[in-house]
Amino acid sequence: MIASVPSATLLGVTGQPVTVEVHSGVGVPGFQIVGSPDAACRESRDRVRAALLSSGLAWPNRRITVNLAPSGMRKAGAGLDLAIAIALLVADEQIASDAVEKYAFVGELGLDGTLRGMPGVAPMVACRSRYIAVVPSEAYEQAIAIGAVDVRCAATLLEVVSALAGAPWPDPPHPMSADAAQPLPDLADVRGQPDARLALELAAAGGHHLLLVGPPGAGKTMLAQRLPGLLPVLDPVASLEATMIHSAAGVPVQGGGVVRRPMFRAPHHSSSMVAIIGGGSTALRPGEVSLAHGGVLFMDELGEFPAHVLDALRQPLEEGVVRVSRAASTATLPARFQMVAASNPCPCGGGAPGECECDLTARLKYLRRISGPFLDRFDLRVSVGAATVDDLLGRQLGESTAVVRERVLTARDLALARAGKLNAALTADELETYAPFDHAAESLVRREFEANRLTGRGLHRVRRVARTIGDLSGAPEVIGVDLLTVALQLRVPFASSARVRVA
Amino acid sequence: MSDATPPEAYAASLAGFDMMSMHRLGALLRHHSPEEAFAVATGRCAPVPHGLIARVVERDGVVEAWKRSALRRPPEQVWAHCLQLGVDVSILGSDGYPPLLHHDPQPPPVVFSRGDLGILDGRRVAVVGTRNATAAGRHMARTLGEGLALEGVHVVSGLARGIDGHAHAGVFDGLGKGADGRPVAVVASGHDVVYPPEHRVLWQRVGNEGLLLSEWPPGSAPAPYRFPQRNRLVAGLSEIVVVVESRETGGSLLTAQMAAERGIPVMAVPGSAISRAAIGVNALLRDGSAPAVDVGDVMVALGLDHSRAHAPGIDPRVRPRVCDVPAYRVCSVKASTVGGVAEALGVAVVDAAMSLARLEQGGWLAHVDGWFEVVGSPLSCP
Repeated sequence: MIASVPSATLLGVTGQPVTVEVHSGVGVPGFQIVGSPDAACRESRDRVRAALLSSGLAWPNRRITVNLAPSGMRKAGAGLDLAIAIALLVADEQIASDAVEKYAFVGELGLDGTLRGMPGVAPMVACRSRYIAVVPSEAYEQAIAIGAVDVRCAATLLEVVSALAGAPWPDPPHPMSADAAQPLPDLADVRGQPDARLALELAAAGGHHLLLVGPPGAGKTMLAQRLPGLLPVLDPVASLEATMIHSAAGVPVQGGGVVRRPMFRAPHHSSSMVAIIGGGSTALRPGEVSLAHGGVLFMDELGEFPAHVLDALRQPLEEGVVRVSRAASTATLPARFQMVAASNPCPCGGGAPGECECDLTARLKYLRRISGPFLDRFDLRVSVGAATVDDLLGRQLGESTAVVRERVLTARDLALARAGKLNAALTADELETYAPFDHAAESLVRREFEANRLTGRGLHRVRRVARTIGDLSGAPEVIGVDLLTVALQLRVPFASSARVRVA
Repeated sequence: MSDATPPEAYAASLAGFDMMSMHRLGALLRHHSPEEAFAVATGRCAPVPHGLIARVVERDGVVEAWKRSALRRPPEQVWAHCLQLGVDVSILGSDGYPPLLHHDPQPPPVVFSRGDLGILDGRRVAVVGTRNATAAGRHMARTLGEGLALEGVHVVSGLARGIDGHAHAGVFDGLGKGADGRPVAVVASGHDVVYPPEHRVLWQRVGNEGLLLSEWPPGSAPAPYRFPQRNRLVAGLSEIVVVVESRETGGSLLTAQMAAERGIPVMAVPGSAISRAAIGVNALLRDGSAPAVDVGDVMVALGLDHSRAHAPGIDPRVRPRVCDVPAYRVCSVKASTVGGVAEALGVAVVDAAMSLARLEQGGWLAHVDGWFEVVGSPLSCP
């Protein structure tokens, strides 16, 4: 007899529908899986057999063939175990075929018949939204996170079988309370650093990428960690995408499995290209850039990242997605993130001019490790000085995240109402419309150009930042010389050598 | 060997040999003609008995290394290279060798020069200092270079990064205003090996409009051991050595020491006692060097007091607004960032940024990698 049960596998961050077909016929008893399974998928045979026997169900002594359709697509992982087991029981007439027709099954089996969760349940369930999804209890939170899908859960294979036979479905596990999420670090902890705080506020309000350069202990990491707290909660679309990505990558999410707050990802500089961009052999696992989707990607010690990894970041920075291709498959992974990077000014980590131990050659070499085009992506580039003793001992706290966030949200609403996008995404034409210069500002631009301190591309970046400064301070329509000056000073041209210009 | 190969070609080739030193080359050329010296060095002729060379050629590997060098850079080829670059070769003791160097305690056996050697007959002052200069130091070097050139004094330096390069850039500023002083550079590599590379334009202009000297033939790399030797020539060519900025150790202090050994006066530009870039110059001052605060000090030391010849100098910079002066004061104590100034004054970042931008625009501050430093003569107002 033949049985057919819907299930799904994962490719990148999207579920791929897979139909599990089982044929049980006469012949030498045996069990075979066809339809491009990978190693974990082929081992399913042994898990299903053990799980059936442990659950007290009969193992059919017939010739069993399992086909995973569409058979051309490579299937990875153990998520098809449950569907194979159910299809087998239907084919062996231990379950009535009309009892399963409304359901899709996703889950891994243990040898004792328990159901285990695995990465990617959310996208898998999403691609089978016409069915009632049956998932392991562990993965219930992930499965309901996307909403709009009817989900049942069970802890063991036997529970599924009895529910299909007419027993009530087991109760879902109690959701972890959303309050369990740890509080975000507060901006009030940052003492001093008024310019860096301003840059952080601008980054939050305008969506600008931010580079912090300063000696060790200047608080670069501390500042970066406080950026997500200033950002608004994710909109439903971004939230859903981020949830899918986290589910696909098997990264647990606090507070109900749904990503609502912007994420903060800080990959170490020794991370491989695949870990950061995404990829891998079959399933094309999302990388750090995708995990930071809708949130903040913090790259500490920017100069220590291999050059090819930094250059690979250019596509996601431009397009908001990563297209990962391997011989067998291609996936488009969402990766719209805000980048915050930190670097020491030189190998010794010195501060003010004349205080550092390194000679000029070493300094320039250090900063030049970051390629010019990459350095150019940062609208905001700030020198952070070490905090003074007075700051550290002072009783006076800085402004809290709540206060700054209020201003940031107002400015963001303003920008979105004006242009439908954040200031960092404004095109050159839109800048002409939304950020016109007054006369004095124009002559300042002219002077900066003549002094070779500003390029065409640099001008657009500075102009966007000036627009954001304006939005944070009462939103004047025209960009005056004061806004422009501050924007210019918050975009320090690092690694511009103190070259001798001969008259 | 063709007859067209002059003796200088052999000397030029010898100067670029591996395992050749100033002393060995000097001994070779003292006792042999250049052709003969070349034959001795390549083992085709016996050296003068009991001399330095007789001992050297017995050492393992020396003659082999010299033979290899001779094959790699034969005299004809080196000579053709010199001609192509417009480089003159002078041998110690021959006509055309600079008399000034002839009397040096450690004269270079061979000198490669481009430009007018006659410049060395004029008044000469060395302006040297650290490669890791502050914006203020670079500004000072440039001002001194320009001022000396305008007074008709030639400026000797090493064409290194930092102070050296800016001193010569100042000379060219002066030349643009009709000055008579010329740049004299002594470099530690061959004439065709520009080091540091960013000084390519400066390097060419010194050769074209001043004098560019080296002890090594074209093709020689800027090996570290060559720099101290170069510094002795910078000292030896000058009547006064002015050190603008120097850390606790460094090439410019070595130049000062070489000058002292030769009885050449050393002057130092005083710096802040708490600035690392001024440790060396302040130590020189403590040891008795004369302070050089402006061009006038150097001219007096040269015996050329022209201070009454021109109207007293006027600072052409527009005085800063009263509201910007506090920000200037903060930066004059210690280089500071925008945030540092905002905090020190207790004002908003926007206001601090505006003040700093106006001060930079007015030429009172320099902006380097996010830090603001005071440049030029200090603002004198209450």
